[in-house]
Amino acid sequence: MNAPLLEIRDLRVGFPIADRMALAVRDLSLDVMPGEAVGLVGESGSGKSVTALAAMRLVAHPGRILGGSIRLGGDDILALDERALRKVRGRRMAMVFQDPQTSLNPAFTIGQQLLDTINAHRSLTPREARAEALEALAMVGIPAPERRLNSYPHEFSGGMRQRALIAMAIACRPQLLIADEPTTALDVTVQAQVIALLRRLARDLNLAVLFISHNLELVAELCDRVVVMYGGMAMEAASVEALFSAPKHPYTRLLRQCVPRLEGGQERLLSIDGAPPVLGQMPPGCPFAQRCPDALARCRSDEPPSRQLDGHSVACWVAT
Amino acid sequence: MSVPLLELEDVRKHYVLGNRMLDRLAGRRRELLALDGVSLIVREGEVLGLVGESGSGKSTLAHVAVRLIGLTAGRLKYRGEDLTAKDGRALRPFRERVQIVFQDTGSSLNPRKTIGRTLREALAMRGVARPGRAAQTVKLLDLVGLADFVLSRYPHQLSGGQRQRVAIARSLAMQPEFLVADEPVASLDVSLQAQIINLLLKLRAELGLTLLFISHDLALVNHISTRVAVMYAGRVVEEGLPREVLGGPAHPYTRALLSAVPRGLAGRRAPREPVPGGPPDPSDLPPGCRFAPRCPSAQAVCRERYPAAAQLSPTHRAECHFAAASGAARTAAPHSS
Repeated sequence: MNAPLLEIRDLRVGFPIADRMALAVRDLSLDVMPGEAVGLVGESGSGKSVTALAAMRLVAHPGRILGGSIRLGGDDILALDERALRKVRGRRMAMVFQDPQTSLNPAFTIGQQLLDTINAHRSLTPREARAEALEALAMVGIPAPERRLNSYPHEFSGGMRQRALIAMAIACRPQLLIADEPTTALDVTVQAQVIALLRRLARDLNLAVLFISHNLELVAELCDRVVVMYGGMAMEAASVEALFSAPKHPYTRLLRQCVPRLEGGQERLLSIDGAPPVLGQMPPGCPFAQRCPDALARCRSDEPPSRQLDGHSVACWVAT
Repeated sequence: MSVPLLELEDVRKHYVLGNRMLDRLAGRRRELLALDGVSLIVREGEVLGLVGESGSGKSTLAHVAVRLIGLTAGRLKYRGEDLTAKDGRALRPFRERVQIVFQDTGSSLNPRKTIGRTLREALAMRGVARPGRAAQTVKLLDLVGLADFVLSRYPHQLSGGQRQRVAIARSLAMQPEFLVADEPVASLDVSLQAQIINLLLKLRAELGLTLLFISHDLALVNHISTRVAVMYAGRVVEEGLPREVLGGPAHPYTRALLSAVPRGLAGRRAPREPVPGGPPDPSDLPPGCRFAPRCPSAQAVCRERYPAAAQLSPTHRAECHFAAASGAARTAAPHSS
């Protein structure tokens, strides 16, 4: 097997709460192979977005990366200085955020913003840069790209804005695209379009994708592998097929049973009592123990290490 | 069939856009058609699920249904009584029987009042005497599955799920018979959504509540509803029993919505071709059928004339020129992944 494109090992990210660092990400390890789509699934506060920001070294003050390593194509991202980092961000890995409304500058045209991105990383003549910008817009399915270059963000619908942002992200042909809930703010039918677009781009450009979402069903459509996060920890990681056909972690199992499926057949939705733990009030042991129907005494005192189980990696004392 | 509780007859809600004076001088009139001729009946005891995307008018319909806003045209009746022109004090009895729960639990509770005070004020509104209120608040909390420790808490000290329970408890303080829930779980985490859905179903069983449940999530609507209505660009384009509307959709928009629902492994094995475009701007609607510009099976007539409703069964109707013709396709339409 070849080497991973993105390799995160034992990542710890903390935020200061009441004079100490509370861990938003706890010893997280994650690989994304070249051309592979990996889904990072979790509820709010699970640490999935912080993980994505850490991979881009974008964790904002006062949050800090406290430990672990992040490598992109073998290069130590945590060791890079700001200058070197700027050459990596946007060029080798790019990010798309949830809210297409605030990710674009309302005062500049789509074309200007797209050209800024291209010119920041590549030395092209104005004509070549424009051709690249047009191609990027065409690639994400924006109709009449020549005209749309001169449009302002407010002239675009939500779905079109997200397409424009994806165009900016792929304009410099990165190897890795990090997409943080890119379809959550979009309407259902538009969401389906953006997912189809990401799937096509990943295939055509051999783009690796780290796709962050709270929606397991959506992740399963797009991704090859899934990492399920809870309370800052990777609870379970497996191929999509394995995770769906035989989830090992009690949290993964419950998460699948508490959403209704269109084909129905569920008399009553399974509900998980309680609420996800809050940063700074993380219980000892497994973060899910308090809500877990299978929890043992040990789960409430000792943090479960990640172990291999039938091709899944599972952080659980109970899973078999 | 049970008694009609809420009846909307050809309800229109139009908003005039822009600077009215300037527009009037220039002889212009730009209008946003949030609701453009909606007829809908909610019967006692049913759960009517209302589905639609943003801009479809579903929240406007919720606000009209509880008369938070007035109507531009049409009629609104509750238990046969015409409420269209009533306002202020005349609506009081109606407001006690009909309550609404909103999506955003962060802003629908007063941040400066404790939960106890919020609930006691709601009880006072109903005329519960002061000595009885404390016991009643505990009863309300019990009904929504909250312990009484929350009484002394402020909204920010609670989780989103707990806040939504408080909002539901507050609406129950009025002892309503009809509850409008406008995207009540859209801002909640997946693991908390089921708690609220199960709670609404429990309240329906225990208190005999009638529900108008508004959501963009088809699977959720399918799970909770006894009847489903689909909105698009200010119209109810299809309505019927869940197995009719979601099992054998007659309107191409309903089919588009259904095919856009993520389906996990099944969707991975057979990716679907999504419908192009987005919902139209409600201030600039296309002529004819509003879905025609996106519709894969649109004909010339669709772009010229708005379709009349086709009655496909006593309970199933759809506003599409070809609704009846798609019958064969409907019976063949798979209703599983």
